[in-house]
Amino acid sequence: MSERNITYLTNACLITCIVEMGSAEKVLEAAKNSGAQGATINYARGTGIREKLGLLGVTIDEQKEIIRVIVSEEQSEIVFEAMYLAGDLDKPGKGIMYLSELDKVATYIPDTVIKNLK
Amino acid sequence: MKYSDYINSVHFKHKSISYNLLTKNSSDNKKIKVTGQQAFNLIKPYCTSRIYEQMKAVIPLALYLVLFQFFVLQYPVQDFLALLGGLIAVILGLAVFMEGLSTGLMPFGTIIGDNLPKKASMILVLIIIGILGVGVTFAEPAIGALQAFGSSVDVNKAPYLYEILNNWTLPLVLMVGAGVGIAAIIGTIRFVKGWSLKPLIYITIAPVIILTIFAWFDPNLRSILGLAWDCGAVTTGPVTVPLVLSLGIGIANAAGKGDSSLSGFGVVTMASLFPIMAVLILALFVSFSISPEQIIESAKNMSNVVVTDQSILDQTPFVEIILGVRAILPLVIFLMFVLFIVLKSSLPNRLITIYGLVLSIIGMCIFNVGLTYGLGAIGTQAGSILPAAFMNIPISDVSPIYSEIVGFVIVIIFAFLLGFGATLAEPALNALGITVQNLTNGAFKKSMLMYSVSIGVATGISLGIAKLIFSIDLATLLLPLYAIGLILTFFSSEEFVNVGWDSAGVTTGPVTVPLVLAMGLGLGNAVSAIEGFGILSLASICPIIAVLTMGIIIQIKNKFAQNEDESDSIDPNLVTEKEL
Repeated sequence: MSERNITYLTNACLITCIVEMGSAEKVLEAAKNSGAQGATINYARGTGIREKLGLLGVTIDEQKEIIRVIVSEEQSEIVFEAMYLAGDLDKPGKGIMYLSELDKVATYIPDTVIKNLK
Repeated sequence: MKYSDYINSVHFKHKSISYNLLTKNSSDNKKIKVTGQQAFNLIKPYCTSRIYEQMKAVIPLALYLVLFQFFVLQYPVQDFLALLGGLIAVILGLAVFMEGLSTGLMPFGTIIGDNLPKKASMILVLIIIGILGVGVTFAEPAIGALQAFGSSVDVNKAPYLYEILNNWTLPLVLMVGAGVGIAAIIGTIRFVKGWSLKPLIYITIAPVIILTIFAWFDPNLRSILGLAWDCGAVTTGPVTVPLVLSLGIGIANAAGKGDSSLSGFGVVTMASLFPIMAVLILALFVSFSISPEQIIESAKNMSNVVVTDQSILDQTPFVEIILGVRAILPLVIFLMFVLFIVLKSSLPNRLITIYGLVLSIIGMCIFNVGLTYGLGAIGTQAGSILPAAFMNIPISDVSPIYSEIVGFVIVIIFAFLLGFGATLAEPALNALGITVQNLTNGAFKKSMLMYSVSIGVATGISLGIAKLIFSIDLATLLLPLYAIGLILTFFSSEEFVNVGWDSAGVTTGPVTVPLVLAMGLGLGNAVSAIEGFGILSLASICPIIAVLTMGIIIQIKNKFAQNEDESDSIDPNLVTEKEL
C-alpha cells in the first residue's frame, strides 16, 4: 500500500448509556435491532443518588456498565429511544444516557461501500 | 429513511425541560425524600432479582428429587407443606444472606485486605488471617448441616462419630476452622512467595493419608473417616472463599506479587485438605480421652433423662436464631476489632454496611430453619426411600419395585444425574470456567471444564451411594483415588494442578452440601450402614481426577499437533515430561 488516506464520516452521533451491572446485554440487543452497527462496553463505578438515598441506596448497584454506540444522525433518535426503553430507564435507579454530536469519525471503510454510494 | 417510517417507529411522547431548572437549588446535598411508590419501584426489582437467583439453584434440584421419588419410587412426598415452607425459607434465607455478605461482610474484607499489609507486620497479618479462617468457618451456611444431622447417628454402631457430632460439635467446628485458618495462612504465604502448588499438595496430603490409615486400622475410629473427609468439602463455601481470597490477594498486591494469573488459586485446595487433618486429630484426641463403652453408656443415660426437660430455647425458631447469631457475630466482632483497633480506620458508608451485617445474620437464621425443614428433610426423605428400588423396606408398600440389579442401576443413574445437574447449575463453576479459559488461552474451554467437573462430581456421588449400599469401606475407595490424583498431579503442568485441585472445592455450595449430606444419612439409615458420610469426599476427589486427566489429554494433544507441524519424531510423552 503506497498511499494512505483518511475518510471522515460526518453527521455522526455518540450515544452513551450508563446502566447497572448486568443490564448492558439487553440494551445492546435493542441498539443493534434498531440499526446500530456496533458498541463498546466498559465497567465503571457510579456514585450520586446511591449516597443521597440513605438505606434505600442499597437497591442501586454501585457497579455500572457503560455502553457507547456511534450512530448516524438519522438513526440516533430511534436507537436512543430503543435503548432507553430496553434499559428501563423510565424506572428509578436504572441509569442515565445521553446523546452527543460528533465532529468527525474515522475508521476503516471498505472501498466497495464507498463506490456503492456514488 | 422515509419520514413516515420515522413517525411510525417513534411512539413515545417527548418533552424537554432545561436541566438548569433542576440544578437551581441543589447546592445543599440533602437526602432525597422518596414516596412510597418510588420506594416500591426501587425495592421490587432489587428483591426479585436476588430471590430469583436462589430459586434457580434450589427449585430444579428439589423438583428433581420430588418427581423421582413420586414417579420412579412410587412414594408420595411426606409433609408436603412443611417441606415447601422449608424450601421457601432456604431460598429467602440464601437470598438475604448473600446480599448481606456482599453489602456487609465483603467490604470489610476488601478494606482490611487493602490496608492491613501497609499498617501491620507480616506476622500480625498472618495471625489475623488465621483467626479469620476460624471465623469464616463458623459463618459458612453449610457447616450448620453437619451439626444438624448429628443426632441421626446410631451410637452403638459408631460411638466416636456419635460422640463427636453430639458432644464435641463446638471443638469440631473449631478444629475445622483452625484447619481453614492454617490453610489461609499458608495460602497467603504462597501468594507472597510465589510457591508452586504441587509440593504443597504432596506435603499436606502425606500426613492426611497417614492419619487416615492409622484411623482405619482402629475399628472404632474407622467410622469417623467419612465425617473427616466430608468436612473438607463443607468448608469451601460462599463465605470462606471470597473473604480469604480478598485478603490474600490484597496482601499479595501489597507485596508486589499479585499480578500472577494464578494467584487466586490454591487457597481452596489447602482449605479443603487441612480441615480433614484437623478432624482426624480431634478424633484421635477423643479416642484417647474416652472409651466407646463410656460413650454408649452416657448416651443411654442421656436419652433416659433429658427427654422431658426441653427448654423453649431448643424449639424451632429459637434454636435456629441462636445458631445463626452464633455463626455470624464472632466473625463480625473480629472484623470490627481489626478495622477499628488494629487499622484505626472507620467504615465507609456505615449505614449500608450495618444493614448488610444485619441482613447476613437474619439470612443465616432463615436459612437454618430452611436447612432443617427444607433441604435436610427432602434429602433425608429421598435417601431413606431410595433403597425401595431394589430391596424391601418397611416404609414402602410396593418395595422392592424393581429387581435387584435394575433397581440398583436406577439408583446409580439417579445419583449421577443429581450430581451432574446440581454441579452444572452452580454459578461458581461458570465463573471458574471463564477464568480457566482465559488462563489457558482457550486451550481448556469453559464448557470442557464445566463438563469434566460435573461428570467428576456425578461419578463421586454415584460412588458414594454405591459405597453406602454395598457398605464398602470409604478408605479403600478414597486412598486409591487420591493416589491416582497424586500421580496425575505429578504429570500435570502447574496451571492444571491449580485449576484441578480447586475445582473440587468450588462446586460444593450451600444447597448441594446439605442435600447430599442428608440424602447420604437417610440412605445410610435405610440400608443400615454404619454411617452415611463420605459421599461429599468422593465428590471432591473425582472432579480433581477428571480435570487433571482432561488437562493431560490437552497437553498431549497440543504436543502432537506441534510435532506434526514441525514433522519432528520426538516422543510426545518425553516432551511433556521435559517441560515439567
